[in-house]
Amino acid sequence: MAHLNVAVSEEAFRRSFELLQRALVFEKADSKDMGAFTAGYDVKAHLEGGNIDFRADNSVLIDSLDLKWDRLKFSLGLDIPEICVGGGCINMPWPIPDICLPRICIFTGDPDVSIAPDLSSVVAQELSLAARFTVRYYDASLPPPSPDLCAPLRLDPLPDHNQWQLYLDPEWIDLDLFDFPDIVGDLIENALTNAVKALIPGGWVRDVILAIIGGIADLIRFILDIPDKIEEWLNDLFNISFGLLDLIGQLVGEFLGRCNPVYRLDDPLEIMPASNGLIPVRIPVRNLAAGVNDVELVLQADVGA
Amino acid sequence: MAFTDHCSIFASVNEEGINRVARHIMRQRPSLFNYATAFFRERPKLLCVPIDYAPEVKKAGNPLFAVQDPIPVPGTPTPVGLNWSLQFTKLAIDFHPGNAIALPPELGALAPQRLALRAAACVGLDCPPDGVINELIPRLEALNAASPDKPFTGIALPPRQPKETLVLPTRELLCFCLEVYAVAHVEWGPIGDDEEPWLKVRLDGLEIVDLRPQPMEDLIECYVKTVLRLGILPRLATPMSAMILNITEMLQDKGLDLGKKVTLQPTPISADAPHNPAVEQDQLKAFINLVVEEV
Repeated sequence: MAHLNVAVSEEAFRRSFELLQRALVFEKADSKDMGAFTAGYDVKAHLEGGNIDFRADNSVLIDSLDLKWDRLKFSLGLDIPEICVGGGCINMPWPIPDICLPRICIFTGDPDVSIAPDLSSVVAQELSLAARFTVRYYDASLPPPSPDLCAPLRLDPLPDHNQWQLYLDPEWIDLDLFDFPDIVGDLIENALTNAVKALIPGGWVRDVILAIIGGIADLIRFILDIPDKIEEWLNDLFNISFGLLDLIGQLVGEFLGRCNPVYRLDDPLEIMPASNGLIPVRIPVRNLAAGVNDVELVLQADVGA
Repeated sequence: MAFTDHCSIFASVNEEGINRVARHIMRQRPSLFNYATAFFRERPKLLCVPIDYAPEVKKAGNPLFAVQDPIPVPGTPTPVGLNWSLQFTKLAIDFHPGNAIALPPELGALAPQRLALRAAACVGLDCPPDGVINELIPRLEALNAASPDKPFTGIALPPRQPKETLVLPTRELLCFCLEVYAVAHVEWGPIGDDEEPWLKVRLDGLEIVDLRPQPMEDLIECYVKTVLRLGILPRLATPMSAMILNITEMLQDKGLDLGKKVTLQPTPISADAPHNPAVEQDQLKAFINLVVEEV
């Protein structure tokens, strides 16, 4: 029989998880210059819903946990090649003066067009994962990990003393791709088209420029190198160029399974603090073990001799 | 049957675990369990029982025992004291069913929901050899003769000008050890007009082994029981509110705002959980509920 037993019911774990997910917020921003255009994101998200199920095979299933975006700002800046019309002169016979057309250039800025729609209301992701509680022993006498992949994810610094650490180590993570719906593609395309239209003056110049570029939509697709639908291009941009999906999937896995124990127990464990010059009383902790069954999480430990 | 059938969180510690914790405390805080005169600082080997201590204690310069004044020799014209020591050893606990401690017959078998405690107390007192006494007698006689009206030091009046106590050198302590056994239980109940339930420790029995004559044993046992019941155990009573752990505040300190009041509270006594804490199966068990309230 273990010296110490602590059990947490599935229901208590579920309620604690519900409370904690409200308090946990993910926030990140980045941008990239891709030559003809710059793209960036500024996102903030939190977890919502989901169901926790303790299973008889010693694993925990977290099912359909929603990643709700409080802010999913996508910024896009286009640097359209400069187009100039007019400026030439027609030499007329004397005494008629030469006829010179005014020179008009557009798309002279960098970027020429910028949009930053907030897509938080039309995009949502869902996370499911199965994980096992894993106990690891942190030995402070060993050199710290190098490179320390957990450094940016760790909520608390590495301890300077030995410690038992309990992780919720994911076995698999299922995170929906950034699958932007058609509405997002249309939203971006319209915003870009309107922004470009506003840059082109009216009258004969407009006709000349449109004749040159063959339509604004075609121009935008050419610049962004969009082969088919703009929403597919957006998906690739977020999932591959930014790697935001991989980042989130990896973050969840590393955050839970490697970097942030859900429970820590110092070894030796201080049970009486130092006082009046007397040393603190510490007890060695041995054989920390964790497991789940259908109804509860059970932690067990021994007191060392 | 699951641990948490009738609660949110269950915690238990078994007697072997507590006894190991007690041994660690005794080795790391020996001054809580050993009392002696300063004389033994340099001569700890003369104590009745060798003190078992952790290396960190010496490294930190912590005392091995709490220093006490010598026991005065009443009537001497100048303060004279004897070295002594009191050491508590063999501390152990046994939760029902009784199997870790062999209780003396006077206490009977350990009843359900009861716990047994055992401690050994070793008392040592210096008995000055005749040579030392004989050497001192002429000096004390001379002091008495020089001031025949002096009151007895240590009994009647304190000396007007305190003098340094002459502590007789000790070569060997006379020692004896007594084993004390106690049986106790815990129960909930109000205190005074306060309706809040308090957790109280109740003493069911106490036995000092092999103290003779019997009336002296009865007398001492009665006195110790009275001290425990009236003086010490009432101070250990703890209100329910002191056992409520405020999770919201703990997490706020870590920068997490739950938006609700979350506490851990002892599970109320019910037919499903008739004892909380429960003393059974060689363990002390606690049943706790997670309570979430709107702020």
